[in-house]
Amino acid sequence: MSRFKNTFSDGVGFDTILVMIALGYLVLFSAFPLVYNIVMSMQEVDLFSLASFDRPFVGLDNYRDVLGRPETMQIFFNTVKFVGFSVAAQLAIGFGLAMFFQLDFPGNTWLRGLFLAGWIMPAIVVGGVWSWILAGDFGVLNHILLATGLGDEKIFWLSDPEFALYSVILANIWLGVPFNMILLSVGLSGISEDVYEAAQMDGATRIQRFFTITLPLMRAQLGAVISLGVIFTLQQFDLFASLTQGGPSNASNVFQYWSWQLSFQNYEIGVGSVISVLMILFVVLVAAVYVRSTRHEHVA
Amino acid sequence: MNMKGLILAGAAWGALTATAFAEPVELDLWTIDDPGEYHYVMAEEFMAAHPEIRINVRTVQFDDMVNDLARGIAAGDAPDITYIDNPEVALFASRGMLLDLTPYIEASDIVNTEDIYPGPLASVSYDGGIYGLPRGANTIALYYNADMFREAGLDPDNPPKTWDELYEAAKVLTRPEENIYGLAFSAQASEEGTFQFLPWVQMTGGDYDNIATEGAARTLELWKSFIGEGLASPDTLIRGQWDSTGTFNTGSAAMVISGPWELPRMSKEADFEFRATLLPVPEEGAERASALGEGDNVILASSDNPDEAFKFIEFLYADMDRVWNDFGYLPASEVEVTDPKFPEIYAVFAESMKYARNRGPHPEWPKISKALQTAIQTTLTGQADAAEALTQAQSAIDRVLQ
Amino acid sequence: MRGNDVKRYGLLALALLFVGIYLFPLYWMYVTALKSNSEIFAIPPTFWPRDPQWIVMDVWQRMKMDVYLRNSLIIAFGVTVIVTMTGTGCAYVLARIRNRWMDAVLFTVLMMQVLPSSLMITPIFVVFNQVGLSEYPRLSVILAQAAKVLPLYIVLCRATFLQVPKELEEAARVDGNSRVGAFLTIIVPLARNGILVTSVLIFLQSFGEYVYSRSLITQRALQPATVGLQSFMGPNSSDWAGVMTYSAIYVTPILIVFVLLQRQIVSGLTSGALK
Repeated sequence: MSRFKNTFSDGVGFDTILVMIALGYLVLFSAFPLVYNIVMSMQEVDLFSLASFDRPFVGLDNYRDVLGRPETMQIFFNTVKFVGFSVAAQLAIGFGLAMFFQLDFPGNTWLRGLFLAGWIMPAIVVGGVWSWILAGDFGVLNHILLATGLGDEKIFWLSDPEFALYSVILANIWLGVPFNMILLSVGLSGISEDVYEAAQMDGATRIQRFFTITLPLMRAQLGAVISLGVIFTLQQFDLFASLTQGGPSNASNVFQYWSWQLSFQNYEIGVGSVISVLMILFVVLVAAVYVRSTRHEHVA
Repeated sequence: MNMKGLILAGAAWGALTATAFAEPVELDLWTIDDPGEYHYVMAEEFMAAHPEIRINVRTVQFDDMVNDLARGIAAGDAPDITYIDNPEVALFASRGMLLDLTPYIEASDIVNTEDIYPGPLASVSYDGGIYGLPRGANTIALYYNADMFREAGLDPDNPPKTWDELYEAAKVLTRPEENIYGLAFSAQASEEGTFQFLPWVQMTGGDYDNIATEGAARTLELWKSFIGEGLASPDTLIRGQWDSTGTFNTGSAAMVISGPWELPRMSKEADFEFRATLLPVPEEGAERASALGEGDNVILASSDNPDEAFKFIEFLYADMDRVWNDFGYLPASEVEVTDPKFPEIYAVFAESMKYARNRGPHPEWPKISKALQTAIQTTLTGQADAAEALTQAQSAIDRVLQ
Repeated sequence: MRGNDVKRYGLLALALLFVGIYLFPLYWMYVTALKSNSEIFAIPPTFWPRDPQWIVMDVWQRMKMDVYLRNSLIIAFGVTVIVTMTGTGCAYVLARIRNRWMDAVLFTVLMMQVLPSSLMITPIFVVFNQVGLSEYPRLSVILAQAAKVLPLYIVLCRATFLQVPKELEEAARVDGNSRVGAFLTIIVPLARNGILVTSVLIFLQSFGEYVYSRSLITQRALQPATVGLQSFMGPNSSDWAGVMTYSAIYVTPILIVFVLLQRQIVSGLTSGALK
């Protein structure tokens, strides 16, 4: 008995227990719903059969149904665009700001901290504020564009199918920049000045230094930022709910919102679950990339 | 205190404890109203009249009602009585989740199905049974800003009667430099869009089961020109009726298509003379149609106290003559409304009610509605032309109907 | 020297410009909250309220915001407690041990947060109902939201533990501490800053939780401020002054806490909480 106790207070058992507590919690409250989703994607589920497992099994019919719908491709590409543009812009702006605030000037750390204000805002509030800024007839963004001559007519950000998706992307970038910036700042501050000085002596230009020193040394951080950014972006739901509801005519619809619409507005829960499963597959891929990227930490 | 006083006091105490200990029957009521509105007010009045029954009212968001109800039923904690929007009664009735009220109505001295208008009656009827009582009705009409009519040289006593006149009026009333649109309505991808769209189609002889028609295409093309020519805001595509009317109230739109529920706010916010007229028809002499809105009071089949529950919805039904003045919607049955508020506008809506048609009913209404919304949105955003979009909608609807 | 100063202040000006652009939405929220309804729809829009209206008390009372905010606090607090209790140890182990198993664990942890709450809610609802948790709707939200943010906490906290030198733990073990003792008396105190900062972030994120609360809490008296805001915005989205006032009341306390703790948060984050 005491040996048993010892493993837990002292040996491998201790690690196992610590991991198991968290893992057990996650399995209970996250893994089960995930599995349940997969089950439902192969059943015909409507609102009234939600509570029982006893539902008609339809095999891959729901999958065929989804792939056969005319809007599927459009929404798929929207999702790719949403993730691609959001993550790329968050990364570029975040990286740019991180490098900028690395420069030496009064108040740099403090001012950089102010950016985090965007991160702590509830997304539902952010959506509300942006939908007011982007409003077509009375929105301040249109006014600014017209007054400064950057635009020559009002843009209906939320109801014009050409712009709706980009409006949500804009708000999402706003939300994501702080996280990127801070994460990358950490990486940048870890690069020692000496490396740069040495390179400067060798006559490397600013741009050369960026590509030959900064980027390679930031590999681990970049991997982490990109994969976490993809995951966070795929989670974004509140902004769609408060800005465009995926409209008009699916112009700004993405998988995570569409799936919810199918389940909770059309009551085709089985079909909605198919989309969830497709998203899981996608994120498995991204998570694998992330785990690979963390290996560099130990090399360094 | 003398003997008599003591006895009296004792008797009073006895009476008090007796009522306190006679367990009142508890009824759960779900509603989309907020405190101070219809169901809350009526529940209070009912409890005052029937102390032996307690009603627990709970607000559910309009958009969440069907979901929450289905989940409540699945989880075994559904209410006894609930509000359901017109087109969704069939969904729940077809699953045997609502109580068939026919025997209760036959026994009732108050409810007589012949008094209920055909539209509202159809919305609670399913497969030979009657599954609810309408709490009221509403419909849509064209509100217009009489002051703007005069400024634009239009005659406010002679509002647009046909689609062409509506288009011309909208054109004259639109003033982009002042941010004023001629017309506001809702083409949102939600039940509201369907609600506003169907009457136009019905006026041309079509309906939800016959949507790929020339008349429906004409409607969509007209709607498209409203938005395309800047006579209505592009936000029409994403705005519900309440928000669209908000722009009318602040003077950013000269006309708006909406229902009587707008009146309390409009009378508070609009600082101009507003009037209402019937929804314009395709051409003079054409058949009229209008949307039928509002919901029904239904009793869940799972209720433990159906008798008390029916007593309550009977009580609600008996007060039908009050709904216009007190709650802002129209009676759903033949009753005398004495001294209505906004008498001219009431007259317009009361007449419009005669043409109001039900959506469906069909147990899979949400799917049908979704197909219509898709046709509206793809046409108005220019992704498809009207005929093509309607053909697609028709085939989607046919799949549901067969 | 002088040229250097010019450059430094030039950079400062540029930094202020960036911050200004970035924080404009917040500014616009506050300004709109102070405008009258007619000024809100004025063309051109005013960038400073001509005739500030103070409708805070009105919105506060009408929306019963004290109830909403209290519920938000309860939920955020509950989530933070559960997450720190269950996640800290796991983060530590994941930082210390690296093998195939731990890779699998890290991978699983990440996978657990892939689905947006909006897709998890249906199964969660059904299960919670069957085990009787629906009697305690706020607790249900806390449990579900904790599962949602736990992976993030583990990932962030793990980075903190990476910073604590392994040698310190080994020294403590040589001094006769058990693993439990070393963990609680040496490692956790050393990683205190990172743990605190991460917890604050979890707290703030849960303070803005929306989807679970909307679906699991049906009683108004138990709902948090996000649900209140959405039900206010739904039918009233043209009442921008009201919506923005509500938003301002809701986020101002978070922003104040944030500004007060800004230095700690930023240094906590930049000293390696995030890697």
